[in-house]
Amino acid sequence: MAEAGHRIQGDSGAVAAVRLAAEKKDPRARRITAMLVAPGTIWMILFLVVPMLMMVYVSFWTQKTFTIEPTLTLKSWIAFFSSETYFGALLRTIKIWLIVLAATFFVGYPTALFIGLFIKNRTIQTIVLVLCVVPFWTSFLIRVLAWRPMLGKEGAVNIVLQKIGLISQPIEVLLFTEFSVVIGMTQIYVVFMVGPIAFMLSRIDPSLIEAARDLGASTWRIFRTIIFPLSLPGVVVGAIFVSVMVLGEFATSGALSGRKVNLLGNIIVTQVGSLKWAFAAVVGVILTAVMAVVVAALLRLVDLRKEL
Amino acid sequence: MENRPLLRSTLAIYTMLFIGFLYAPFVVLGILSFQSGPEGGPQFPIIEWSTYWYRHIFGLTPPSRVAPLPIGEALVRSLTLAFATMVTSTVLGTMTAQAFRRRFKGSGFVFYLVVLGMIVPGVLVGLGIALVANNLGIPRAWWGTAFVGHVLYTFPFAFLVMLAIFNRFDKSVEEAAWSLGVPPMRTFRKVTFPLIFPGVLSSMLFAFTLSYDEFPRTLFAAGADLTLPLAIYGTFAVEIHPNIFSFGVLTTLFSFSLLAIYGVLMTLSVRSAKKVAIQEEIA
Repeated sequence: MAEAGHRIQGDSGAVAAVRLAAEKKDPRARRITAMLVAPGTIWMILFLVVPMLMMVYVSFWTQKTFTIEPTLTLKSWIAFFSSETYFGALLRTIKIWLIVLAATFFVGYPTALFIGLFIKNRTIQTIVLVLCVVPFWTSFLIRVLAWRPMLGKEGAVNIVLQKIGLISQPIEVLLFTEFSVVIGMTQIYVVFMVGPIAFMLSRIDPSLIEAARDLGASTWRIFRTIIFPLSLPGVVVGAIFVSVMVLGEFATSGALSGRKVNLLGNIIVTQVGSLKWAFAAVVGVILTAVMAVVVAALLRLVDLRKEL
Repeated sequence: MENRPLLRSTLAIYTMLFIGFLYAPFVVLGILSFQSGPEGGPQFPIIEWSTYWYRHIFGLTPPSRVAPLPIGEALVRSLTLAFATMVTSTVLGTMTAQAFRRRFKGSGFVFYLVVLGMIVPGVLVGLGIALVANNLGIPRAWWGTAFVGHVLYTFPFAFLVMLAIFNRFDKSVEEAAWSLGVPPMRTFRKVTFPLIFPGVLSSMLFAFTLSYDEFPRTLFAAGADLTLPLAIYGTFAVEIHPNIFSFGVLTTLFSFSLLAIYGVLMTLSVRSAKKVAIQEEIA
């Protein structure tokens, strides 16, 4: 494919190649590029890479009551894995992440299907997508908080359910439970699942589906063998977005669980609050490791560079 | 798939419900922001419709047991911080993307390094920056440690937007200017910049709103003086009152007006670009 492309381009390709070679040799152009790249690169190394390495380093420091000392020890690490509370937080984080990931996928996929495959008019497609993105434009904390009057004992959901006679007593477990945390996170992050999937679906050639139908395939079979596999890169991108954000969460879990559901992020916040920096660093390193494993695993599902 | 009317209408109804799910909390929040005060609580039923809690935010109500939201100075800080973040990340993003128009050694490394800034969770970024600052004895402040953290987050957005813009950009226009002897800075101002302006505008919008609303990165890095999201977070811990709902409505309106300004500027720039094209055609 690439070779054929080159041959068709012919002369202009050759000119471009000469120009590229000339540019490569030109020391002035190289100096300009270096000057343009340097500030951003230095910023990222100084303020992102160095702090992350510092976090790994500090996780081995000795924790005194209110200070930390650079004497290396494994104490904080042992404390994490031997404590029911903290190890439990790791398991709970993984559990909530899996539930929210599944929820965003199952809640978001039908919408993405409708937007990407059933709306043929590009303008309407954009309008519906924008409609989904608009709530993202509001303050994150307000979005979290908005669930409180929805789910409370005297909240909107209970009132509506009682009005239509589905329940006689208000349901109390809606708010300040794992359920409310999952609902809140699903609403906040589902858009990141819908967007990439809808994008991939809208690129499917309609004649592919028509051909399958002409050959007598059922709708379910078309979905299973054509539509879903072709949307998989979108699912993976969406899953990476959702995973990274949910794993690092603490505000939603704090505000919608009444501090009962403690994720790794919540542990970091409380530990920093009581100046246990070394311990917070341990939790930070563990969180980073979990995230790296998750992202790497998701990337193994599809070769994004080839698909996008 | 269009010839499946049942499936189609099912999915259409589902999508409507889905959008309802996305908006319902805001609608409820908006309604409850008109709760009567100061005795009305943050739940149904509405005792009496009033704008009490809006007046409460601006300190226009007589003192009551509900303390006013601590947002005055925090708002100024957040706006200043968002502005500085916007300028810095747009400049960095444009520079880095400009460099990517040429192939250079290590471009893959730089690309992933920059993108990492939007992937690493804010709580880790904040923790890392706080650890470094503590050990170097640098005091943490919203205009220092929090600012560098914000740029870490918004610079990748600006970079990706500008990269997309430069990819669609015809290099020969610039080369024509150079070959006519126009100095590089003037070429950038007169030729390149108008062409990339929509991208610059988009990165500015991204950077400003992301920074204005940024919370996890700021939490550990801001020090004693709070930004707006931190001030709001502080009120979560204690009992909540409808004044925070009113604040939510106001800050949402603020975000939307930014979006509207962006829309107007974008339309104007597209229109002026068209005008230039038409003039060229006539000439």
